[in-house]
Amino acid sequence: MKNRLRVLRAERDWSQADLAARLEVSRQSVNAIETGKFDPSLPLAFKLASLFEMTIEEIFFEDEEGA
Amino acid sequence: MICWSRNGADRRYVIRMWVAAGLCVAFSVVAALTFRLGHPHGVLAYLVAVLPALPIGGALVGTGVYLGEEKDEFQRNLLVQALLGGTGGILTAVTAWGYVEDFAHAPHLDLIWVYPAFWAFAGISYAVVWARYR
Repeated sequence: MKNRLRVLRAERDWSQADLAARLEVSRQSVNAIETGKFDPSLPLAFKLASLFEMTIEEIFFEDEEGA
Repeated sequence: MICWSRNGADRRYVIRMWVAAGLCVAFSVVAALTFRLGHPHGVLAYLVAVLPALPIGGALVGTGVYLGEEKDEFQRNLLVQALLGGTGGILTAVTAWGYVEDFAHAPHLDLIWVYPAFWAFAGISYAVVWARYR
């Protein structure tokens, strides 16, 4: 699953560590989610959506090749 | 082995592991001295002999408690995969060695090494899993 986290983070001038602190997870977690190697659970996806004031669908989208 | 997160669960986990390791060493000394000086027999011998293994059970329970306490799902995922790798690795290795003992008359493996070998396999597994997410 792909996502727009890197762009959204850059727009706010947040580092991965900044976002991790806001989500109360490790920086490694943010990196793994951002690079699409780890799909977050629904609660964490909601937390991300709430943090960026967007819907989950606006942040995460299906990988077209994997669909 | 654990990457430090922000909620303290990992800190408590490391403390629990150190306590378990300390108890294991202390109980090993107690058991060794008891057998050297007291020569216990029967049920008492079994009870004293099993003493050093009790903290090992505690360490595994402590690992389960950590998995319950850790809020960071990615870190939980890493450890679960590492533990599965460790379990698979040690089961395969011990079973394979059993066949080698039976058929090729290899030296007998002292089962006391199974637990440290499990964590060695889990450590290797953790490094492999970690590298996949880099």
